[in-house]
Amino acid sequence: MLTRRLIVCLDVKGGRVVKGVQFESLRDVGDPVALATRYEAEGADEVVFLDISASAEERATLLDVARRTAERLFVPLTIGGGIRTADDVARALRAGADKVSLNTAAVERPEVLNEAADRFGAQCVVASIDAKRDGARWRVYTRGGRDRTDLDAVAWARECVRRGAGEILLTSIDRDGARTGYDLELTSAVAAAVSVPVVASGGAGSATHVRDVLRHGGADAALVAGILHDGETTVRDIKALLADDGIPVRKTA
Amino acid sequence: MRVTVFDYGAGNLHSLVKALSMPGVEIAVEPDPVRATDTDVLVLPGVGAFGAAAARLAPGRSAMREALAAGLPCLGICLGMQLLFDGSDEGSGAGLGVIPGTVRRLAGERVPQIGWNTLEDRCDPLLAASALDVAYYANGYVCRPNDLGVVRAWSTHEHERFPAMVRAGKVVGVQFHPEKSSQRGVAFARAFLEEARS
Repeated sequence: MLTRRLIVCLDVKGGRVVKGVQFESLRDVGDPVALATRYEAEGADEVVFLDISASAEERATLLDVARRTAERLFVPLTIGGGIRTADDVARALRAGADKVSLNTAAVERPEVLNEAADRFGAQCVVASIDAKRDGARWRVYTRGGRDRTDLDAVAWARECVRRGAGEILLTSIDRDGARTGYDLELTSAVAAAVSVPVVASGGAGSATHVRDVLRHGGADAALVAGILHDGETTVRDIKALLADDGIPVRKTA
Repeated sequence: MRVTVFDYGAGNLHSLVKALSMPGVEIAVEPDPVRATDTDVLVLPGVGAFGAAAARLAPGRSAMREALAAGLPCLGICLGMQLLFDGSDEGSGAGLGVIPGTVRRLAGERVPQIGWNTLEDRCDPLLAASALDVAYYANGYVCRPNDLGVVRAWSTHEHERFPAMVRAGKVVGVQFHPEKSSQRGVAFARAFLEEARS
């Protein structure tokens, strides 16, 4: 039986892990390699490095961080942020990523999803979608939540899968950093529309929120970040709650 | 002990090489399939598509087949496991054919399978030694051996059971990724090396 996954996301800028609130006001929280391996030891099922660097100089350090991480991390590593082309995907995979997530580049040029999936397989192509509520629907935003697009999040998710994405990483901009729980309606709507795993992101404030999105939000996996870095809860405590609730998870000793 | 990872252009081998690293083990990554057989242990890694991998394997197919038949310990991971079989629905070209059977696409709705899946009906000392009971998968195809006696563990995707691990003597195939299955996965890979050494 496939288990539900708990994925830890580390926002990386200039080689350091930072955490923002609603995509702004960044705080330094530590070294990416050390944090990634610590979360693996606590039972994290996967790790995501999201590069939120503003410049190419800062960005160049991420592949080096990935290389150092891949030598010590024995759970899947996803890299996202600033990936524009299939060649960028190739570089990230060679550096040690198992999956690569595409966001803005896929909106601007959707063919990049086909190209990456054709070359490297759907299993390593993650479509990352930042969505914000707009009336009864959700609108896709790009560039870290700054630019509004004309895309509907559910329709866009479907197109991403049609083009070869093997997984959807779905972030609620409204909930990001707010710690009021995941947007269950958003994840349910997208999960019902696509045939690939949906990773819910944005809004985790407690272990209960994680349980809710896995049990009631249709998500195959939940992404957590800030609450772990702050010590509000731990990977171990979240997984213990999920297991107690009868949700299949990988247990670690 | 020399351990050789056959690199058929599949990309990321960092974690695998690191997982196999232990005292007394010398690891080489070898793109040539004939030279890859000049080793104490052969590892067939697991990323990519069957057709492309079979094409890279073709010039050394008989050499590798003979080496395995002569008792060379081999660990095939994911696509590497599939290469131990006769052929695959995923692409043309011949596998090594050291385990009779073929490779078929998963029948479920959510394919590829991506995630951690439980290992059922485990009956292999390597699984016992490593306590590996949940492992990481990223695959759209699974192996269908003619003789189910080779199966050492199963997993279930949606409603379909498929072999998680097969063994024919010193040749072991796993559909999951030990190098991505955290500490117990690493323990599995190292238990395989210990077995090969003894």
